[in-house]
Amino acid sequence: MLIGVLPLGLALGAQASHKGLGPGAVAVMTGLNFAGGSEFAAVGLWANPLPVALIVLMTALVNSRHLLMGATLAPLLAHLPRWKAFAALFWMCDESWAMAYADAQKRRAAGALRGFSLPYYAAVAIGVWIAWIGSCTAGAAIGPAIGDIRAFGVDMALPAVFLAIMKGLWTGARAARPWLVSLVVAALTYLLVPGAWYVAAGAVAGLIAAWFWAPRA
Amino acid sequence: MTDATTVLTILLMALVTYATRIGGYVALRNRSLSPRARAMLEATPGCVLISVIAPFFVTGEPAGLLALAVTLLAATRLPLLPTVLVGVGAAALLRAVIG
Repeated sequence: MLIGVLPLGLALGAQASHKGLGPGAVAVMTGLNFAGGSEFAAVGLWANPLPVALIVLMTALVNSRHLLMGATLAPLLAHLPRWKAFAALFWMCDESWAMAYADAQKRRAAGALRGFSLPYYAAVAIGVWIAWIGSCTAGAAIGPAIGDIRAFGVDMALPAVFLAIMKGLWTGARAARPWLVSLVVAALTYLLVPGAWYVAAGAVAGLIAAWFWAPRA
Repeated sequence: MTDATTVLTILLMALVTYATRIGGYVALRNRSLSPRARAMLEATPGCVLISVIAPFFVTGEPAGLLALAVTLLAATRLPLLPTVLVGVGAAALLRAVIG
């Protein structure tokens, strides 16, 4: 799993370097933010002048899945002191969440009173964190030497990562209909409206569709 | 190259991301969401991700479009890392061949 992180980090770092972000800035961003999907989105939107509000808003929206992940982790963290729970949550990413959650269920099935193991969670989370920061920073350092990254297809890493994440989020064609609305609205806005409005327009259109198509209780 | 706006953006990103990490733990642990709110929350990440990459779907570059189709196909069948390798490889190859 740690090895899987490395090429992604290199691709993100190389793209960031071509948007003018140095290795230092990339290390700080990936270390403090530590959420790859939002970092790919941010680097994709990175421009001069910097659309600060748009990047921060998109970061919040891409990472909104953490809200549901944190809620599912809450009962597992209930026995910990507050500060430990808040510290542990800083390192909650797709990998550490999924592995700790699966590990907790396995331990509970084996008869353990408490399923959640903080040492196990910490080992996974810190491992991914260090591998992520290291590979992103290395990518940013070697990025300028590569030259035109498009010739190497590195720009295709962004849609590849996003499509693979979306496959993980896939729960059926019905639930994915808002995605299609987002795609069509974002693409049209991109073609017709100058600037980076297409991201916000697509996201909002998809959410309205999700609200409209939501199952009635 | 690192100016104040860059630092501000990175710090704000880190702040809102940490807020999403503790927000679910703090606000949602003793509460159940309405089906409508839950459906919207579950649709949000996918809607944002597809919106960010929407330009790739309407690019005028044939090699890029073909590579995207290959990437999409790979994403439906392969895990994340092979999908990225196939996507990057296809883009490099197709650009070298088609230009």
